[in-house]
Amino acid sequence: MNPAIEVRSLAKHFGHVRAVDDLSFDVAEGRVTGFLGPNGSGKTTTLRMLLGLVAPSSGSATFGGVPYRDLDRPLCHVGAVLEATSFHPTRRAADHLRSVAIAARLPASRVRAVLELVGLSDVARRRVGTFSLGMRQRLELATAVLGDPRVLILDEPANGLDPQGIQWLRTFIRYQASLGRAILVSSHLLSEMEETVDDVVIVSEGRLVLQTTLADLASTAGGAPGMRVRTPELARLSAVLAGYGVAARQVGVDEVVVDGATPEWLGPVLAQAQIVVYELTRQQNRLEEVFLGLTHVPPSVHGATSPSPSPSPSPSPGLTS
Amino acid sequence: MTALVRAEWLKLRTTAAPWVLAGLAAVVTALLVVVIFRTQGGTVAPSSGNGPPTFVGSGVPQTAQQLRNLAASCYECDLFALLIGVVCVTADFRHKTVTAAFLASPRRWRLIGAKLLTAALVGAALAVALLAGTLLGGGLALDAEGGSFAALARQVPAVAPGVVLVFALFAVLGVGVGSLLTNQVAAIIVSLGWFLVLEGILIALVHGAARWVPSGAAEAAADVTRGQGHLYGLFTWWQGALLLLLYGAVFAAAGSAVVARRDVT
Repeated sequence: MNPAIEVRSLAKHFGHVRAVDDLSFDVAEGRVTGFLGPNGSGKTTTLRMLLGLVAPSSGSATFGGVPYRDLDRPLCHVGAVLEATSFHPTRRAADHLRSVAIAARLPASRVRAVLELVGLSDVARRRVGTFSLGMRQRLELATAVLGDPRVLILDEPANGLDPQGIQWLRTFIRYQASLGRAILVSSHLLSEMEETVDDVVIVSEGRLVLQTTLADLASTAGGAPGMRVRTPELARLSAVLAGYGVAARQVGVDEVVVDGATPEWLGPVLAQAQIVVYELTRQQNRLEEVFLGLTHVPPSVHGATSPSPSPSPSPSPGLTS
Repeated sequence: MTALVRAEWLKLRTTAAPWVLAGLAAVVTALLVVVIFRTQGGTVAPSSGNGPPTFVGSGVPQTAQQLRNLAASCYECDLFALLIGVVCVTADFRHKTVTAAFLASPRRWRLIGAKLLTAALVGAALAVALLAGTLLGGGLALDAEGGSFAALARQVPAVAPGVVLVFALFAVLGVGVGSLLTNQVAAIIVSLGWFLVLEGILIALVHGAARWVPSGAAEAAADVTRGQGHLYGLFTWWQGALLLLLYGAVFAAAGSAVVARRDVT
């Protein structure tokens, strides 16, 4: 089966800056593909090139073999959410949708249907300027699915959403995928998309780092998740673990991660060795750490990617960028 | 193309700016009607002896030319039609709704084409509304002041086609200006600066420039003087209309070329 989106050797140069460089990847039908990379890694530029909004310096991006500009009735083929700010503030939500529906030669019933779908029916007569960010994001999503497209392209749709909004968004995306749509969703946080995506395309500095399935990424990352231990007796713990042939990775001043360990195994080991433990938790961010290692995020300036002042995570074995 | 024109029409009428501009045009037209009543009432009688010329007659517009001037008093508001054309393009860029517009119509020249057509229709509709309002308001005022409603109505067919044509072409010119200068504030300032200041200076400095500038072309095209335009150094009506259309086409073509190449980020 042909991929829903094919990107081949796509490149965009702004002066000397190579925003996107020789990028190739596929997006399969009926799956959610996470398009991941730190801010400024060329994700938005790539998505805009897919949609014919930015002209590529070279390379191609096609939908079932056809560039966006040559699609017949493009909104019935591809729906896109690019940013939550592209509305006229004094235009009513329903009028915004109607203007797009008319331009795309869609029946007025679609406007009602998508308003219902995103739960904005009650505020359809309100001016968009009065909408919260979450409501605007929903209106963008409603606009994207207006033409009942087979492909959805979402650029950082979770940005600025509250936890309920993100939960709603995940459900929405999974529902859209269950309809057989191909979904390409970008994010600078893997953790945000971890429960939602099937495949990942990871980019850094405009270049492809890795395209794989989420399952493969997880197994490459070390199979079973590990345990995080906070203890004042780091040296003794390491020695005890070494006795079992297990290594501990130090991730903080008094913290280590024991890869592959389960609580059922580690708990008795610690008890038997009589090691003082302040904290014993499952290692949740395994995947996120792999992702950060792959994309070489410098110490965060946004405060969003690296919550603790721990040393940068060590690159995972078996993965190179 | 019909779908895109209908979408653009919906976009125009669901925001405030075009209505504000149309409302301003109505207010200015009403003021101009009052001005014409004040200044063009009656006729000038030749002076007898050494005295100054005196006004005679009923004190309301009554000659054919005076009635034509009254019927066409909204003509001066063609600038508002131009600004509606400017807003039709620049509002999309200002509020980034151009992204949605290009996604629906990835062949960008078609979108600009739809905007040209929409603006022309809206410009013409504005002219019709202002002409109708002038006929009604001016006619009733004439009736009350002892003039003739019917006489005014008889002059409308003489001026209406020219005014409608000029408004449509000015709106087209506005779309051209807006697609070349997509920054809304800049486009409006440049438009007002040209028509209110620079054009007058150019005409004053360069002999014979009057017929070539957009306002001169518009005056010729409107043909309010019924074929007497050459006395004021103007082209004939169809030459003026053609020149004005050319201005609009050149600006729109240049604007389309710029917009088509531009990355929308």
